[in-house]
Amino acid sequence: MVDEVMRSTQRPEVIDATLAALDPDRDRPPSVMEVDSLTLRFGEKTILSDVSVAFPRGTVTALIGPTGSGKSTFLRTLNRMNDRVSGFRHDGDVTLDGVSVWAPHQDLLSVRRRVGMLFQRPNPFPMSIRDNVVAGVKAHGIAKGRQLDVVAETRLREVGLWDAVKDRLGESPFRLSGGQQQLLCLARALAVGPEMLLLDEPTSSLDPGSTESVENLMRQLTPALTLIVVTHNLGQARRVSQSTILFYDGRLIEHGATSELFDAPRDPRTQRYVNGLMG
Amino acid sequence: MTGPADFGSPDSVTTGPVPPLRPARRRGGILRRCEEPLWRWGGRVASLIPLAGLTFVLVVLAVKAWPAIRVNGPGFLTRSLWQPGSTYGAPVRTGGVLHPVGSSYGAWPLIAGTLQSSFIAVLVALPISLGAAFALTERLPKWLSRPLGFFVEVLAGIPSVIIGLWGVLELGPFLARHVYPLIANHVPNVAVLRYFRGSTGYGEGLMTSGLVLGLMIVPIIASTTRDLFLQVPPLPKEGGEALGMTDAEVARWITVPWVRSGIIGATVLGLGRALGETIAVAMVSGSILGQVAPNVYGTMTTIAATIVSQLDSAATDGTGFAVATLAEAGLILAVISIAVNVAARGIVNRTSRLAAPVGRV
Repeated sequence: MVDEVMRSTQRPEVIDATLAALDPDRDRPPSVMEVDSLTLRFGEKTILSDVSVAFPRGTVTALIGPTGSGKSTFLRTLNRMNDRVSGFRHDGDVTLDGVSVWAPHQDLLSVRRRVGMLFQRPNPFPMSIRDNVVAGVKAHGIAKGRQLDVVAETRLREVGLWDAVKDRLGESPFRLSGGQQQLLCLARALAVGPEMLLLDEPTSSLDPGSTESVENLMRQLTPALTLIVVTHNLGQARRVSQSTILFYDGRLIEHGATSELFDAPRDPRTQRYVNGLMG
Repeated sequence: MTGPADFGSPDSVTTGPVPPLRPARRRGGILRRCEEPLWRWGGRVASLIPLAGLTFVLVVLAVKAWPAIRVNGPGFLTRSLWQPGSTYGAPVRTGGVLHPVGSSYGAWPLIAGTLQSSFIAVLVALPISLGAAFALTERLPKWLSRPLGFFVEVLAGIPSVIIGLWGVLELGPFLARHVYPLIANHVPNVAVLRYFRGSTGYGEGLMTSGLVLGLMIVPIIASTTRDLFLQVPPLPKEGGEALGMTDAEVARWITVPWVRSGIIGATVLGLGRALGETIAVAMVSGSILGQVAPNVYGTMTTIAATIVSQLDSAATDGTGFAVATLAEAGLILAVISIAVNVAARGIVNRTSRLAAPVGRV
């Protein structure tokens, strides 16, 4: 009898069911974000046509493609950073956990809290290092008072910056190196507890050492977070991402597992781009 | 302001052989050959002129004021009475200085009036200017912000006598009839706010002076601040937006702090204008000598307004003592202005510790 129970609890489907019950994401769509036939225009100029793609929870997706292919515009649309650019129009939809980011009841500020962003160049705020980390936390009222110090330390440790800055938390961030500033911006983005991070060429202004730390962090942040990274660095795309999307001339050319896209591209344009014959 | 120089777009840069900066031998006329030394020495002389001018003015003022300083003593700063004395009786001599019999001067109401009215002016002008600058750079579409920005500059160019005239004919009476009573009757009767209660007068006084001065320094602070806001790079602001900050939070935490030292500088510029503004204040202050305004609406005067309104009658004092006293008041005003600038420099040095250098990122 006891053996019977023991055996039954070890049946794979039972274990799966138990695990599934523990999974906080069990009732959510498997893709944290879905893009449905998205077309982007600035005035009369079409930047991106008819892009449909899903970003599975807890993965890193790399967006590659030549300059001007529309990948940065695409990325900035996902957290609605383009909304205020004059002439910007969109067709199609972007959904976050099944709800359109443009839905009337959708709160823009909370979309941006849930979908964080890291920029091409570090952009610290003109306040102390500690205040930089907790700026978003304060804005969203997530923590206050002494808790902020805990948040700052936690996040700075998370990005590996704590030992370098713990004695100068009250000082200006502008005296940090570029790499440290970018890690600070990452800590700041993580501090508000996002579900996704959009990274727009996050290491293009960094030295190789800093690039490596940012890439290591990107790997560690999954599967807790879903990452989308725009990069010109094909090596980086291979190193950090599970799937890769190639944009070319305002169109999504190919989307697939990173290893397949690089080693066995289906589209000739992909083949030429990943082999460095087209840039 | 201190914007980066405009070197044109990259496309307009001509490429080609760069001519040598200093040709081996100068050709051309005498002017051309003198250009370099003229540049060097002219620049050095020009850079000394502001210092020389300041020194000269202060020395002349001090010399003119010296008799008054000796007779009036340190009590000049705290006494309230302003009494030229009798020009008919025989002058008397105090400490070797001849002055009319019965003359007694005190500059406290002038000093207080100057500081009070300028304080009100900055208090009123700073939020309006920041708001206007923010709207002009961040909120309004270009077709609207350009003409509106132009009007800000036009306001700066209106002569102060015209603003004073408007203040004494229109603004003052209007405020005294419709606005001041509302404030005076509804402000609670407690400590500092008590100063806002009581008789509201006819529109000439401290509050009207402060408001008129405020209006006059809005263009100074607003146009400078607008230029500063335009220099704030977009990237940190986008960073704030991407973090889910509201526009107000981006402005308060990023845009304004980014140019904080410049805003302080612009404010001091405006404050300096307010401290020294003469004719408009002389018209709307009520020009009452000898008393500090009993409440915020009360009549008063400032150092500058007193100098201009009293100079005529002072010239009738045959001993020259009245003019010396006005010079002493002028010296105090100069010292206040310099002190404000020095203090501002200190604040800038302290607060720019965390600010980003303008133009970075």
